[in-house]
Formats: sequence, C-alpha cells, structure tokens
Amino acid sequence: MGSVVVDNLRKDFDDVTVLRNINLDIKEGEFFALLGPSGCGKTTTMRCIAGFESPTSGTIKIGGKDVVNTPPNRRNAGMVFQSYALFPHMNVFDNVAYSLNIKELRQRNVLKKIGTYTRMLNSKLVKYPKHIEEKVMNILEYVELTEHAKKLTSELSGGQQQRVALARALVMEPEVLLMDEPLSNLDLKLRHTMRNTIRRIQQELKITTIFVTHDQEEAMSMADRIAVMKDGEILQIGTPTDLYSNPETPFIADFVGTSNIIPATVIGEENGLTKVKFGDDQILESSTVTDKKEVQVIIRPENLKVITSDDAQTDNSFEGVVQFATYLGSTVRYDIKMGDQLLVVDTMYESGDSIIKDGSKIKLDVSPERVLLI
Amino acid sequence: MKQRISGLGVIKFLIYVFFILFLILPLLAVFLVSFTNEPVNLFGSLVNLEQLKLTIEQFKNATLDNFKSIFSRGHYFQGLLNSLYLSFIVSIWVLIICLPIAYGIARTKMPFKRTISALSTIPLIMPTFISAFAFIIMFGRAGWVTYIYNALGGEGMLIDPYSMTGIALVQIFFFFPYALWPMVAAFRVTDVSLEEASRNMGSKSWLTFVTVTFPLALPGMLSTALVIFAVSFSDFGTPIILAPSDLNLIVVDAYREISGFFNWGGAAILTVIMIAVAGFVYWLQNFLVKGRNYDTLSGKPKQVKLIDNKALTIPLTVFSGFVVLIPLLTMGTVILQSFAKTWGRDPLPSGYTLDHYKQIFTSSLGNIQNSLILAGGALIVSVIVATFVSYFVVRHRSTTLDFMTTIPLIVPGIAFGIALIQAFNTAPLQLTGTAIILVIAYSIRRLPYMVRSTVGTMRAIKEDIEEAAVNLGASRLTAAVTIVGPLLLPGIAAGSILVFVTVIKETSISILMAPASWAPMSLAIFQNVLRAEYYSAAAMSVILVAIVLILQAIANRLSGGDKT
Ligand SMILES: Nc1ncnc2c1ncn2[C@@H]1O[C@H](COP(=O)(O)OP(=O)(O)OP(=O)(O)O)[C@@H](O)[C@H]1O
Ligand SMILES: [Mg+2]
Repeated sequence: MGSVVVDNLRKDFDDVTVLRNINLDIKEGEFFALLGPSGCGKTTTMRCIAGFESPTSGTIKIGGKDVVNTPPNRRNAGMVFQSYALFPHMNVFDNVAYSLNIKELRQRNVLKKIGTYTRMLNSKLVKYPKHIEEKVMNILEYVELTEHAKKLTSELSGGQQQRVALARALVMEPEVLLMDEPLSNLDLKLRHTMRNTIRRIQQELKITTIFVTHDQEEAMSMADRIAVMKDGEILQIGTPTDLYSNPETPFIADFVGTSNIIPATVIGEENGLTKVKFGDDQILESSTVTDKKEVQVIIRPENLKVITSDDAQTDNSFEGVVQFATYLGSTVRYDIKMGDQLLVVDTMYESGDSIIKDGSKIKLDVSPERVLLI
Repeated sequence: MKQRISGLGVIKFLIYVFFILFLILPLLAVFLVSFTNEPVNLFGSLVNLEQLKLTIEQFKNATLDNFKSIFSRGHYFQGLLNSLYLSFIVSIWVLIICLPIAYGIARTKMPFKRTISALSTIPLIMPTFISAFAFIIMFGRAGWVTYIYNALGGEGMLIDPYSMTGIALVQIFFFFPYALWPMVAAFRVTDVSLEEASRNMGSKSWLTFVTVTFPLALPGMLSTALVIFAVSFSDFGTPIILAPSDLNLIVVDAYREISGFFNWGGAAILTVIMIAVAGFVYWLQNFLVKGRNYDTLSGKPKQVKLIDNKALTIPLTVFSGFVVLIPLLTMGTVILQSFAKTWGRDPLPSGYTLDHYKQIFTSSLGNIQNSLILAGGALIVSVIVATFVSYFVVRHRSTTLDFMTTIPLIVPGIAFGIALIQAFNTAPLQLTGTAIILVIAYSIRRLPYMVRSTVGTMRAIKEDIEEAAVNLGASRLTAAVTIVGPLLLPGIAAGSILVFVTVIKETSISILMAPASWAPMSLAIFQNVLRAEYYSAAAMSVILVAIVLILQAIANRLSGGDKT
C-alpha cells in the first residue's frame, strides 16, 4: 500500500488544456474520491496516475516513488474500469489469475515462461501452480464468487462482473486501487449494496483507493476525503462534512448537497455578525466575516425554518410565499418564492394538516451560523 | 518523455521494412527504370558505393524516350487504347446485363430468385484463364457450340474466341457478379418513399423506374462500373489465353516485353501506365462512393414492397437464367472435357475415362502440392503482417500503414510482378526466380483482404480490455498476443480462407514469377493450354475449382456462424 502524491499536474491534448494545476496528497489507506461533473477531467487524472496518459508537466508519486517515466504495466496501480473490461474469452478464474501469470512470466526460467504463455492463451493446456490457484480462490471467496470460478464472464450478472473486476485488480496487491465510476452501470439497488461491499473491502485491506464519480451522494457516503473538480481544476479538497458545511464556492455548495444561493450586498458589521441586504430590502445576519461587498448567501434547505404566524419571535428572518409543497416521506420540501428567486426548504413531516397551503405568506428563519457568505 | 524500445515498436519497424522493401521500393524502381531504360539496382546502391555511382551514372543518361514513344501513337499506345476500349465495353455491358437482374432480385418476387442468386456466384470461383480456356473448348473450331451452330445452318464459328469479342464475352460473363451485388444493394437502399410518391401521382411503374428508381441508383451503378473497369483492365488470365497476336493489350504487351524480350525499359513504362490508369480509376471510384454515403445515411431504410407482376417477373427470370447459365455451361464443359476420352467436333465426348485424373495424380501431383505450399506460405505471411497492421491501424491510427495496404488493391498483378522481378533481379537481394519472392508477392497482393477482415474484428475489440491487461502488468506486446490475438481469431480465420483461395486462383503472378521447380497448378494449366493439352488442363482446372469450392464453403460456414 502506498500514498499517492500528484504535484502540479497538467495535461494538454493537442492545444486543449484538459487538466491544470492538479495537486493531490492521498495518504496510505485513504479512500479518496474525485468528484465532478461530466467532462471535468476525472478520468484523465486517473489515467495519468495509471500511466495511460503521460502528463504534459508535473509529477506523480506512488508510494514515494516518482512514476512519471514508469510504463503503465510497471506501476502496480490496480484499476477497475467503468466497463469492467473483463477478458471475454476467459473464464472468471483466468481473468483473476491474469496478473499472477504475468508475474510468473517475469521469472528467468524459460520453460516456465513458455508454460505460462501457453496457459494464458489456453488455460486447459497448462495447469496453474498451487500458489496461484490458492491466491485466486482466496480472493474469489472474498468477493463471494467461488462457485462462479469456471464461468465465462458473459454468463455473470452486472454485480458479479463488477466483483470479478475488483478481484482481478486486488489479487495483484496493488499499491493503489483506481476505480473509474465503477457503479455507474449498476441499477440503483445493486449500487447501494456494492457501495457497502467496496467500502468494507477497502477498510479490511486498508488499501489506498482513488474513486472517480460524478454522483455526490456516492462520494459523500463512501470517501474519507473528496476532491471536487470542475473544468480541469480542483476547486476544493476536504472531508464530506467539511465540504458540506464549508463550501468554498457556490458551485460546490450546489454540487455537494442542495443549497439556496442568493446574491446579496454587505451593508455593515455588528457584534461580529455581517449584515447583508437582498431581494426587496430583506436583511439577514451571518456569522461569516468577509471583506467583500457583493456576496453570495448560501443556506442549506434544512437550516431554514418556516414560520407562519406573524407575531412569532424571529431574530433573523425574511419573507416569502409558498409555491407548493412536496411530501417526501419523513420530510416535506417547500418551494418558496422570494422576489423573483425560488428557494427550497426542508422540514420534518409531522402530520397531514401541518403542511402549509400553497400561496401562504410565510417567514423563513435561520440562525446566523448557518448563513454562509462566499 | 524517454523513448523506450518496446517489442511492439520493433515489430512496427519490421513491418515498415517489409512494405518498403517489397512494395514501395520495387514500385519506385520500376518508375525509375522507365526513364533509364535499363535495370536499376536500388538495394545495391544502398549497400555498395560502386553500385551507387553506377546508378547515378544511369540517371545521367535517363531519357524521356519511353514516354515519348507511348504517346507517339506506336505499338504501346495501340495496346493502351485497346485495353481501355476493352474495359470500357466490358463495364458498359456488365451494367446493362446486371440492371434487370439486380432489379429483379432487389425489387420483385421473380421466380427462382434463390437459384439465380446461388448460380451467380459460380463465376467467382473460376479463375478467368480457366473460363477463357473453356471458351476455346466451347466456341473454338472443334467446339460443341460451333457444332450446334453449324448444324443449325451457320457458317464458320458463332464467335471467334481468339478475338476482342471473345475476351470481352469471357470478362462480361465472369465479372458480372462483382457488379451484381453492389447494384442489388443500391436498389435496396434507394428511398422507396420517393417511388411511392411518384406512383401516387399516377405514374406508371415503368415510368417510375425510368424517372425515379434508376436515377437514384445511378451513382451507385457508376462506381460499380468503375470497379468492373479496373478488374477488366487488370485481368491477365483472359487476354493471355485469348488475345490473338495482332491484338495488343497492355497486360499482354508488358508480359511479353519482360518474359520474352527482357526489355526492361518497355516493361517498366507499361507498368507505370497500368498503375496510373488503375490508380486514377480507384481515385474516381472512391470519389463517387464518398458522395454516396451521405445519401444512404439520410435515407431511412424502409420495407420494400416487392413487385409480383408476372408480365415483368417472368421475362426477368428468363433473362437472368440465361446470364447465369453461361458460366454454368462453361464449368460443365471443363468438367466434361476432363472426363472425355476424345472430344472432337461433336456435341458430346466419344467416351469417358478417368485417365486424365490418373495422369495428374501420377505426374502432376507436384503442382497441386506446390500450390498448397505456396498458398500456405502466403497465408502465414499475410496473417502475421495483417494482424499487426490492423493493430497499428486501429490502435495507433497509422494512416501510413492503412494506405500501404490499399496499394496492392490498386496495382494490377502483372505490374506488381514486373516491379518485383526488376527489383530483385541482382545481388544483394537476388530473389527473382525463388519461391520466397513468389510467396511474398502472393501475400502482399492478397494482404488487403486479410487486413480488411482483421481490421473489422479489431475495431470491435474495445481498447480498455487491452489497457486492463497492461494495467495488470502485461507489456503491450504480451497484451496484444494474449488478449487481442485470441479475440481476433474469427477475423483471421475468415480472411485466411479468402487469401488461400485467391492465391490458388492467382494467375498473373504465377505465370510471371513462378520458377519451374515451384510451378503451381495455375501455371501448369496455363502451360497445358498453350501446348493444347486440353484434357489434362481441364482435369487440373476441375481440381483447382474443387479446392476453391470446398474452402469457400468452409468460409461461408465460418462467417455465417459468426453472425448468429
Ligand atoms: N484523448 C483525448 N483527446 C482529446 N481530448 C480528450 C481526450 N480524452 C479526454 N479528452 C477531453 O478531456 C476532457 C476531460 O475528459 P475526461 O474523460 O477526463 O472527463 P471525465 O471527468 O472523466 O468525464 P465523465 O464523467 O463524462 O467520464 C473532456 O473535455 C474530453 O473531451
Ligand atoms: Mg470519465
């Protein structure tokens, strides 16, 4: 297992810059997610680490060793492809044994070399040595595929194929495990199960893992740390809670979870609280200190409280009109119109008659600590 | 980035060397010879300073005499004109013949459609020099057609096989399948809704055909005609058997210049002209096809309503039947001849015997063996080269290699043969007259078939599978051999049979380049025909066609199995 350090990575395709100024410091045993919208350069980053793309500039270190000039077959970075990329003419066992065969090929004994090559072309001709057999069966047991060992990969379900791909990468004991959107081909339910399987295996083996996804929920629920990417750059790196409560840009606030984003003007400061004005003269206080004049107010939907009665005590609130309510099981989501802006508010569901009618005038209350200014 | 020497890099280099050595340099050399008028030793010049000086000296004396003589309306010029005229006539007639048959197959419910389709593949299994030879047995002075013609009151021969007409007829009836299937496709593709619109407006069917269907199919037919033009222009088998001595055709002239008179300059200039014509036709055809692809893209495929009007379909069947009957009769004649005791001016042989086959299996077994070994050798070379070429073309997007493998498609066989003979005539690479150069010539000539087959399969193998192997520690070469190789096998198998079959049928290279000790079946048949030993020629032809037929059946089964 090793750490992965990427320093000032830049990648150009012809004259288009696809990645710039990528810096990552991934610790041993860490589960690290690369999160970002389609086309932002996640796959390219991962392919640079795996060695399939050579960086235009910058360094990549795996386990402390600079690998920029190491060819991809010598990097020992196990990769799980989005399409799984299983070898269609081989059965499950042969697929998983592939990297072990390659290791045999690197020995000096010529007879053994020929034998191994023949086995890779047709495993019926030359038997596997005991140590390979054991290792493969062990890992297959680990991913619960023992009884499918002799099946062709095309005879497996999507989830099973996924586990073959995982086993095939794990059996070579890689320094780092790279996964490019491994769950995107699975249906919703299986995706949740596989999330747990991958997380469990990662924890048990303590293997450094880089996981690419464009699904923020996936990243938040699995990763120790997340790097959010956009347009070939990393915007912010942090733990899931960190990203959620302290997004550094409106993009992240919106991409990681849902946010209400309201443009506003700073009008003053009092007792360490910043006063902002927005809409038609609505005023809020925030505990964020800023020296900017024009800011974006970020408020999570669950941090807004709906107040119906006019006389209720409100310290920090503004007005709006309920557009409509959506019942979501344990919560109720209100779409609320404020001036020409639409906001969302999540409240706990209590009882049917507590749902506020469409068109009602209400106030939204929020504590200053929950009002973020960017 | 540090450049490493990888196994795959070495192979790519070797493949380039192969193409440059056996394709590019010989063609270049023949071009130079057309100026110097005497053999140029390019390989020698590369390794030997003396030779280099000599070569430079040759160039100082280079002249344009050859080019002048071509255009001064001499012997060569006449040959070129005759060849162009022949190809023109053949392509026009093939179009005219195929038009009703293709329409019948694509758009009507004509009776015996399947039988006609099946019979129309017969010409494809017969090499043209065998068909030409069969025409002699049929239409010659002692032919059974002549007998019937005379019995019906005709005088002399119905058609003289040894004439431009004879050559054109063989080519028309044996090349028409190359046009038929593309034309069937063109009729299927044309937008049926336009025809329906025309019919809705009250137009009669024949009017619809003339005003809508035909013009829509026209570009497709033009490009098809060009294919036939090129095939006819490059064909060596028919003219070498049938061309009378007073009829110059460029392929025959070129052959005589080199193998009869050792006139290097003359052969070279003819070669250059053949390649120029073939290249131009290829370019023109590509140009037409490019424009057409857009049309087929925009036209949505629709269910065609097949016409079932007896007044139309029965004449179509009669006509198509007549066309496919002629190659069938030709083949039947060869078979009959091979079993005949003697067959003079009679409708049928005087008696039947297996003697001719016995004789072949006692004295000419070597030719069959040679053919199989040479075709096997060519097969191995082209499998190896084509596999890696398709890898580089698909994975490295090597347009250079892609281009190089299309060159043999364009260059007529006789031209390529002359180029090779010239280039390898002297040390340091004296290969002319060896089996090695013969095998290489065969394999390069048939490489395009192989490459087309393997490139198709290669494109279907997704790149990430290979990357997965590399990621698991395999070098690019190991990944190519252990992962791409096995997945490529179906494509290789299909291409292999095609290569093997076409090499066995190959005429021009065999006749031009095969040494006596390695004479393949085609050369043996050719020599027997020249010596008027028609019975053993026929028996050998039947064996050749049988081998082709069996392999083709296997190939069909293989490719049919792939689709399902
Ligand atoms: N080989 C290439 N040549 C040129 N441009 C490329 C190449 N590969 C990727 N790109 C471009 O680089 C950008 C980043 O691509 P990349 O595949 O890394 O995105 P991604 O974040 O993985 O997206 P997705 O979520 O859709 O997989 C894209 O704009 C893409 O078009
Ligand atoms: Mg991607």
